Formats: sequence, structure tokens, C-alpha cells
Amino acid sequence: MITMTGDRLSEMLDKLYRNGTEAIFFMDQKGGVVGMNPAAERILEVDVIERIQSGIDDSFCQTCEGYTDEQELMSCSRCYLNYPKGEFSSFQVYLRTRDEGIVPFAASYHTIDEEQGIRVLMLLDLTKQLKTQEMLQRNHMLKYVIKAQEDERKRISRELHDSVAQELLSSLVDLRVLKYMNVSDDVLNKIQQTEQSLTRLLDDIRHLSVELRPASLDDLGLEAAFRSHFKWMEKNYGLLVHFSAELAAARYSNEIETVVYRVCQEAVLNALKYSGLDEVYVRLWEENGGLQLTVRDEGVGFNMFINEAQGTGLGLYGMRERAELVGGQFTLTSSAGAGTTVQLSVPLSQDVMQEGDRS
Amino acid sequence: MTVIEQSGYDYQLEIDRLRDRFQFDFVSLALVQPAEDRFVLTWQYASGNHNERFKRIVLHSGKGVAGIVFKTGKSMLIQNVNADIGARDLFNFPIIAAEKLKSLGALPLWVEARVMGVLLAGFREENRMNPAVFNDFREQLGVTLGAFRIREVSQT
Repeated sequence: MITMTGDRLSEMLDKLYRNGTEAIFFMDQKGGVVGMNPAAERILEVDVIERIQSGIDDSFCQTCEGYTDEQELMSCSRCYLNYPKGEFSSFQVYLRTRDEGIVPFAASYHTIDEEQGIRVLMLLDLTKQLKTQEMLQRNHMLKYVIKAQEDERKRISRELHDSVAQELLSSLVDLRVLKYMNVSDDVLNKIQQTEQSLTRLLDDIRHLSVELRPASLDDLGLEAAFRSHFKWMEKNYGLLVHFSAELAAARYSNEIETVVYRVCQEAVLNALKYSGLDEVYVRLWEENGGLQLTVRDEGVGFNMFINEAQGTGLGLYGMRERAELVGGQFTLTSSAGAGTTVQLSVPLSQDVMQEGDRS
Repeated sequence: MTVIEQSGYDYQLEIDRLRDRFQFDFVSLALVQPAEDRFVLTWQYASGNHNERFKRIVLHSGKGVAGIVFKTGKSMLIQNVNADIGARDLFNFPIIAAEKLKSLGALPLWVEARVMGVLLAGFREENRMNPAVFNDFREQLGVTLGAFRIREVSQT
């Protein structure tokens, strides 16, 4: 390391002061501003600079909104300006800026001249970093929420299927036995009616269970789950789904299967709701090392450049978010009168496939 | 054991007649299926239908027009589909969507104090089915339709 001295040092420091992007404030013991560099001037509001320069009010509090401590995001308790002995080598401070309102900065505050009590406050704009952090956290959170939702659905679905439906089935069997016992016609008639109700109830519970999360998705894989789902869509809504699957592997990782299933489910439901037709084309295949899905209808379509959401608008958002969770690409193409196509492409890395094979 | 087989009644002819008589755009009849089909409720007959989509639909108790009538045992009147259901929820009523009905009424059909069928009549124009028309329709149907009773008879 080279330690600079003399003119060279002054020159470099001068350049740092004038051209650096870090804002530098020099303060006296009372927290008054005695100097600032051009970067600092760019942050402050014009009238604040005037007041400081003319000496009417040189306190830094005019622009400071507080710093982040353990209790609050913006706190003024134990202000760093008044607590020279506090640990303020690195902290986050909020300033009221000229153009962008209240903005967070990474700050450090320390004494550079013990005798005259001069301190320096150096600031670095944190907006970008915080935004990155926030996105990261949001993605983690979303992943967690979606997983929690799927897990909970799986649990309730299993419970309904394994416990409630099974109990009901055994009652139904009992009831059928009753028919062959020596009972009067009246009773027989009543038993038959009850049998009908219970049979329908059993079907309803099974549907509910599959609707929450099809066991076939976990046990048999995407293709089987899709086939039963589309059959159900046909029965429930009269929607015809033309499904073609050309898959090399039967199974993929649980995460990918869930994403593809849910995105397809949503896209098909959208087609049912908004296409105006009762036919949808779904194709599932592998290409370029990825799992590809298209859901296409030849219905009314819509203008993609005008936001005229007929629904909540959350469906598309949700599909895109889910696709991102597995590094997939989600595209939607539509134009008025020309139908709508949803495409999903999920990359299949080698280890992901192996993991899928194991499960 | 189906009610239809027992009676040998021509339901298609009957709903064609009803449609003609009351000038409905669409009439359909949903019936509970025999044990082989797990007693599900499906639209079996239609008159004035645009397409065959209704035949694909299996009705679930409590869902859709027939499902609600079936479960509650009460008739149902929708005077204006656009106002009362709304586009966002319309997909839950596939028969209305498929046949583009705009106003309709549905009646439960009874066999021995049980709903065993649903009769639906509707128009493709708003507000054509109103309480007066619906009541008149119900009154003129009489007491029975084939093997069914139009009104619930309390069990004795």
C-alpha cells in the first residue's frame, strides 16, 4: 500500500471532495453544518442550502428525517449528532431530498478533528440497494406463501379423500346391505333415497378434494392430473379441452409440476370465462431442454395494450409470478378477434430431472 | 330404476309443446340419473337449444341453476342475467352461458317429497321472464309433468 503525502494527497482529496458521488458534510460540535461538497448540495433542497450558507439556520435537522435504530425506521432518539460517543460508524439515515422526497442513505459519522470538534458525515444513496433487497425478500415471501398454500391444500385434500370420503363410503356400504334385509317397502324406499343423497355427497367430497389439489398430481404426474382435471371441466362447465401431451419423462420435480398445473388450470379457466367459446387447446411437450405448455383458444381475444380487465386482473399476475418461481417464462399473446394464447416454458436442468425421477 | 322408464312419457314432446305454448326461447329438463351413473343430475332434454353443450354438463348439487334448485327445492327466477349474475360469475352457470339466456325461471320437479328433476324455461332477452310470466307458467303446468309433481307434497 502506498501512503500519499503532501500535494499529491491534497489533490486527490480535493478531487474526491469535488467529484465523488458520496455526499460529504462537515459538522461542528453542535451539529451545525460548516461545509458540504457538490454531491451533498445536489441532495439538499435549495432553500435549506441558502439557510445554511447565510447562517440563518445551519442545523442538519432541517433535512434529516431520522435514522434507523432497533426500535424504529426513522428515529430521532439518541440523535447521532448529539451522541459523539455512540456507535455511528455505519447506519441508515433518511433525508428530505430536493427531487425525490424522503430517501434512505447509508451514512457514517465520525470525528476527524478532536481539538476543533469537527466531524464528517458521509452519505451514500441506498434507494437502489433497498429496492433490490425488497424484491429479493418479496420473491422469497411469495415462494413461501405459495408453498404454504399448496401444502395446506394438499393436507385438506388428503384429509377429505382419506378420512371423510372413506367414512362416508363405509356408511354407504352399510346402507346398501340394509336394502337386502327384511324391511318394508316404505323403509326400502327411504333407504334408496338416502343412498342417492349419500352417493352424490360422496362425489361432491371427492370433487372438492380434487379441486383443492389432485392427488394424481403427486402420485401419477402432470399428464394424469391434467386428464382428470379436463374431464372434470367438461362435466362441470361443458368445456371441451383438446389435450395433447408429448412428454419424455413421466415425472418432474414437485415444484415444476405444481407450477405447470396451476398455470394451466388458471389459463383454461380464463379461456372458459372470457373467450366466449367452449373449446380450448392445451399442448404439453418438451423442447430445448425445457417443459413447454401452451393453452390456446380461438375466441374473442382482447387488446393487450388496453387494460380492460374483466376479472380481478390477479390471475395473470399470479401465473407470471408462479412461472418466475421455477425460472420459467410466461408469455401471453392475444388480439381482438384472434383468440388468446398462453405460453409457459420451464427450463429443466439435469439435476431437476433426476430429482423428478427419484420422487 | 329411472322415473322416465317407468312412466313411458315423452318428455321431449312435452317441453317442445311448453316452449311453443308460452313462446319461450329455450326449455330444458334435468333429471336424476340411475344408480349406474351415481345418481347425478344432468340435462336430458332441451328444446330451442343453440348447441349440444348442455349435454356435457353434469350438475353438482348447489352449483348452477339446476344445482341450486335441486338443493333448495325452491324455484328460481332470474329476470335479468346481466344485472343479477354479471359477466365475472357467468361461467358458473354454464347452461345460461351456452344458450345465451338473458332471463329465466327454473322449477323443482318432485317424486315422493324429493327433488328428482329441474325444469328450466328462459328467454334470450332481458326481463321477458318476470314474476307474472313465471307464476302463470307454473299455474298452467298443472299438478304433474310425466312422473313428476310440480308442487311438493308433504310426506305422510
